[in-house]
Amino acid sequence: MMEVQGLSKAFSGATAVDNFSLTIGQDEYLTLLGPSGSGKSTLLRLLAGLEAPDSGVIRLNGEDITSLPAHMRHLGFVQQKYALFPHLSVSDNVAFGLRFRAVDPVTDEAVVARRVKESLDLVGLTDLGARMVGQLSGGQKQRVSLARTLVTEPKVCLLDEPLGALDANLRERMTVELQKIRRALGVTFMHVTGNEAEAIAMGDRMIVLDHGKLLQVAHPDVVFLTPANVSVARYINAYNILEGRSEDGRFVCGDAAFPLPAPAQDLRHYAIRFDSARILAEDETASEDSACMTARFIASEFLGSQVTYILRRSDGRTFEVVRHLSREDPVVYDRDQQCTICWNASDGLLFDASGNLVSAAPVRGAA
Amino acid sequence: MQDAKFLKIGLGTYTALFIAFLYAPFVVMGILSFQQGPEGGPQFPIIEWSTYWYQHVLGFAPPSRVAPLPIGEALARSITLAVATMIVSTVLGTLTAQAFRRHFKGSGFVFYLVVLGMMVPGVLLGLGMALVADQFGIPRTWWGTAFVLHVVYTYPFAFLVMLAIFNRFDGSVEEAAWALGVPPGRTFRKITFPIIFPGVLSAMLFAFTLSYDEFPRTLFTGGSEVTMPIAIYGTFAVEIHPNLFAFGVLTTVFSFALLTVYGLLMMASVRRAKVRISGLQEEIE
Repeated sequence: MMEVQGLSKAFSGATAVDNFSLTIGQDEYLTLLGPSGSGKSTLLRLLAGLEAPDSGVIRLNGEDITSLPAHMRHLGFVQQKYALFPHLSVSDNVAFGLRFRAVDPVTDEAVVARRVKESLDLVGLTDLGARMVGQLSGGQKQRVSLARTLVTEPKVCLLDEPLGALDANLRERMTVELQKIRRALGVTFMHVTGNEAEAIAMGDRMIVLDHGKLLQVAHPDVVFLTPANVSVARYINAYNILEGRSEDGRFVCGDAAFPLPAPAQDLRHYAIRFDSARILAEDETASEDSACMTARFIASEFLGSQVTYILRRSDGRTFEVVRHLSREDPVVYDRDQQCTICWNASDGLLFDASGNLVSAAPVRGAA
Repeated sequence: MQDAKFLKIGLGTYTALFIAFLYAPFVVMGILSFQQGPEGGPQFPIIEWSTYWYQHVLGFAPPSRVAPLPIGEALARSITLAVATMIVSTVLGTLTAQAFRRHFKGSGFVFYLVVLGMMVPGVLLGLGMALVADQFGIPRTWWGTAFVLHVVYTYPFAFLVMLAIFNRFDGSVEEAAWALGVPPGRTFRKITFPIIFPGVLSAMLFAFTLSYDEFPRTLFTGGSEVTMPIAIYGTFAVEIHPNLFAFGVLTTVFSFALLTVYGLLMMASVRRAKVRISGLQEEIE
């Protein structure tokens, strides 16, 4: 439905978006993950028509909208800080687009009132229409902002870190809520976030962006289990990334060496998921097909359903091991205790010198 | 404790003196305006309290040896000129400040060019304008040459006020409106303008008051039909009677009335917001 081709934008020489191409389908939930400064907000502003691209084409249903001003694009844009109109009531905020838009404004106040009510019902703010926006909590403002955009029935709704300013509890509720609202309307959402858990949990497809470049776009499962690039593995925040080189069918990292899951050359990085590794008990020996390294224990973090053990490798870097408590009891280690970390050699992901994934390990459960 | 007490007394005395200096001239003028007339002059003691000079200013007093103040037409001219200047300067100032929200090429130069209008001494500007007008055969009038100089003088003030207002203005609400399909012109009318309105009122107030009692520029460029400040100055040359003070009190009252209207307009939006939310408080989560 919406095609983006070779979109680029630089601000006084600094590249913000670099040759970005993507096809966005109808009725899908896209999440866009990128660290701060990755150009994700700029990309959204380019799509919304709030910035002009240096090069590239944006098409909506086959029509070139690259040079169309923002108010002619029929795209919704929900801003990070909500940007509600402070001098208007909640109803007037929601009705604003319907009443005053350039194309097809609604002049019948009865129709406006009905659609505003439907929209407020949809986001769960039925009785707050008469209130001024200064009187709302953060979560309510977020919903008004969403209702204001959705009431105009945009073809694609762009959301710029919509949950970023909410507290954790509310964020979890809005996560479910957003998906429910989207399904009810069948509109495409493009949700920009810096939070990897949000991107993985909410997206039908997930885009990973860094330095303005698209690194991977796929179902969150695929991105999570087989990150296409070592940077993607880093942003997902679920992998220990070891730097080293391949030598005689082994990956050498500092004073440790692991068997490779598949023969490969010119390797640079080796990634192992936090929950694929485990710490050996004192009397236990590693099995033949496992990869092992030693590290000193630093601290552990109890998170209710799981424990994160943080260890320091001989080269000074940290290594995280996550164990789910439904499978085993937490173990207490002394600070600086020498431990052996082991994992199944076939769980390792290999990345070559240019950062790309070399071999994909077969999907396995934890432990 | 002791120090704090002395500090309190010291600051109190200072404030009292400050207020006395600020308002004493007006109080003296106010008292003298109630001098008996037409024999009483502009000096103490008050011979007898009366409102004679107010009647004199307003034209109710019987004819006497004191000529009526030649200010009727001058006042009308001054107010007309101030209103016109206020409108033009505020519109120009707002538009210019709007342009400065984006850093266009040469914006620094244009900034100084605009601000120059209030930096150059009024006498020089008035004299220069008079010379140029004579050179080109343009007649000097209060509604022509003087009006242009009033705009040149007050426009930078309106511009600076609006620049400060736009500095604090969050442009994301405009982008939100555009994204909703509302064109930029309508967005300005419906969103930007209501939000910056208090600033626009301040700019209008500045432009009006500066133009209303402007002297040096008008003196050189106003021609034979004088404005109020120049008419008053003209009466000094003959003899000063308390009718001038009565007039001063009246114009001051008028200025306060204007300020009150400004204050009421400023509070109106706040009050409107409060009325809307009263009675809805109880349902907040």
